Amino acid sequence: MATQKNKALGKLRSEERVLGYIFASPWLIGLIILGVFPIALSFYLSFTNYDMLGAPGFIWFTNYRILLSNDSLFYTALFNTLYHVAISVPLGLLVGIILALLLNSKIKGMGIYRTIYYLPNVVSVVAMSLLWLWLFQPSFGLVNNLLSPIYNFFKMEPLLWYQSSDMSKITLILMGLWTAGGSMIIYLAQMQDIPSELYEAADIDGANGLQKIFKITIPLMTPSIVFNFIRGLIGGFQDLTVSYIMTKGGPGHSTYYYSYYLFDKMMSDNAMGMASAMAWILLVITLVITMGALSLNKYVFYLGDQS
Amino acid sequence: MKKLLLVMLLMVGVFALSACGDEEVDGKIEVTFWHLSPVGDESYSQVKKIVRDFNNSQDVYYVNEYGFSFWDYWDKLNIAVASNTAPDVGFSTIDDNVHRAQRNVLFNISDFIAADVAAGIETVNTNSFYSNQLGFLTYEDDLYGLPFTATTRMLFYNLDHFAEVGLTADDVPTTWSELQVVAKQLDIVDGNKIERIGFDPTFGQGTYMGYLWQSGLDYFDDELQVTLNTQGHYDVLDWMVTFNNEYSRSQLNSFGEANTILGIDPFAAGRVSMVVGTDGLYQTLLDYDSTMNYAVAPIPVPDEDGVRVNWGSGFSLELYKNGRELDEKAQGAWEFSKYLMSVSIQVEYADAVGWIMGNTEAMDIVAEGNPIITALVEECAYAVDKLFVPYAPAWHAGDWFQYYDQLKAGDATVEDTLKDAIDWYNEKQTNYNATQ
Repeated sequence: MATQKNKALGKLRSEERVLGYIFASPWLIGLIILGVFPIALSFYLSFTNYDMLGAPGFIWFTNYRILLSNDSLFYTALFNTLYHVAISVPLGLLVGIILALLLNSKIKGMGIYRTIYYLPNVVSVVAMSLLWLWLFQPSFGLVNNLLSPIYNFFKMEPLLWYQSSDMSKITLILMGLWTAGGSMIIYLAQMQDIPSELYEAADIDGANGLQKIFKITIPLMTPSIVFNFIRGLIGGFQDLTVSYIMTKGGPGHSTYYYSYYLFDKMMSDNAMGMASAMAWILLVITLVITMGALSLNKYVFYLGDQS
Repeated sequence: MKKLLLVMLLMVGVFALSACGDEEVDGKIEVTFWHLSPVGDESYSQVKKIVRDFNNSQDVYYVNEYGFSFWDYWDKLNIAVASNTAPDVGFSTIDDNVHRAQRNVLFNISDFIAADVAAGIETVNTNSFYSNQLGFLTYEDDLYGLPFTATTRMLFYNLDHFAEVGLTADDVPTTWSELQVVAKQLDIVDGNKIERIGFDPTFGQGTYMGYLWQSGLDYFDDELQVTLNTQGHYDVLDWMVTFNNEYSRSQLNSFGEANTILGIDPFAAGRVSMVVGTDGLYQTLLDYDSTMNYAVAPIPVPDEDGVRVNWGSGFSLELYKNGRELDEKAQGAWEFSKYLMSVSIQVEYADAVGWIMGNTEAMDIVAEGNPIITALVEECAYAVDKLFVPYAPAWHAGDWFQYYDQLKAGDATVEDTLKDAIDWYNEKQTNYNATQ
């Protein structure tokens, strides 16, 4: 009797296991075909001279050696990307936090303000780039028109923005701040979670507004700050669309980002092997920097974590 | 469990049955054709009709056509060729056809022609195509593509502007010095602001390589070594950027960019009186319903030993192997290619898309009574395509533009531009050779 019961239970478990795999199969198949396979293939291709037409020829570490020791544009593109990430990520965090703090008030029509600040995130990058191309145009753009009194006061030449290799990176970074509303939403969501008792207690203790922000709000926002920081780092290393549309990587390679160079290696030079090697180098760089960023976790204060 | 499996089987069955819905295909050999007239495009219905007419004209093959936007097409095709999922027949670019032929991804067109001739079947008449295009489609004495379209570059000039300053079509410049004289008469400047410019070599479709060719020079030698280090190369580039030396580069760039940003063609908008343009500019003017009085002429050449030549390319019609040997699908693709290259279909295609077609007999019919098209077709005979350079396939575009744009922005000298470009091409060549 017991054996029969065990058998029935075993059959049931086995059926459940099969069903489990069947239900998970769309994701599993997707992961293997669209995730694991391309990653493994790109690793293999990074050791070949694959040109997207002929059979890939195995050339060991030649692609890596060339990129690291004999490709003048590789380091230019890497520097541009690091510069972009180093400035745009902290600046984006700062603007996002300030926006969230401003929009965390209980005034009439706050929903409308929040929507307005979030709206740029739903605008297509192409449309946004073209719009900013107009705004930053040195001769007839709105930005220089608005700044003309300052130019006149200091008797200086108008800034050339994206047309100058000195200003182009900063121009793209400033433009990127327009979408800071994306991270603002995450900060706002976390701010809504902060118990009002903490502020009430601070009020009783006589804390002023700034003290409440720095002693309560910002410490309790650290989980989302670190999340946005890491997200920004990873996204920043992959950035290419805006420079592709606005500056074509110029002037003089000044906005030629790593991912843009990788894209060109593949699509313009047909050097899929070299592009794959670039992708793996980028992966290692991103991983190392992200691991470093994760060490910030010790400064994160999780609500409810008494330790 | 059984029910679940049954449902899944039923779903698979429904999908399988739905794939067999087209009765027209029954019993025919299916051939895929990729083209550049996507659904929604003005030319789509006419291209679809051309394909439908082929399908109705015989009982052996059925062509499935897929139209893609020009901007998506090339990436899709590159990836498809790399993964053996390319169409049986499709468009590609003439200049790099030899690269695909070398890599054995295309069927040999000469073999098809020879087989037709041996069987006494009507085949394509290669005498109707431009010889320079056939040259670019030839690898080891065999054809690996058919010249479906042709393009050319000419000087477009605004006769209304000419009339304003007392010039006529007879005064159209033929040499660089004449060009300078005429252009200066057409400039209009209001204080610091350029209102209209007669001509600028860097505007429109004016290219450094095109002006080099006109000067009897080239970018690369026969060994594909870059050759930008002579006085002649310096002089041509210097001529381009100093043509309008009385204006600052910033003035010229702002003037040029105002057109680009606003999405208007500067010639069509009457802001430039003369410009080097392709046959595409003629289509642009047609699309704008322009009432402008204009004409076209060969691009002026250097005063001494100038060569009448222009950069012209085109789309090739290619038959993709997709890793297989000659089969009935490939034969179907060939039959369809012959149909597409025939005079009547080339005329119909020209009407649909407005391109200059590769079949000169067809273009004689299309151009009849139209002086602009007649001139453009005539100039195709002087068109030369750019070389395919394996170590720098984008040598004329991204590789060059980074230096050229800096020069135009006034951030580099002609000397530095050429030196930096040479260094870059040499580095690319060294690195490419190391991977071969």
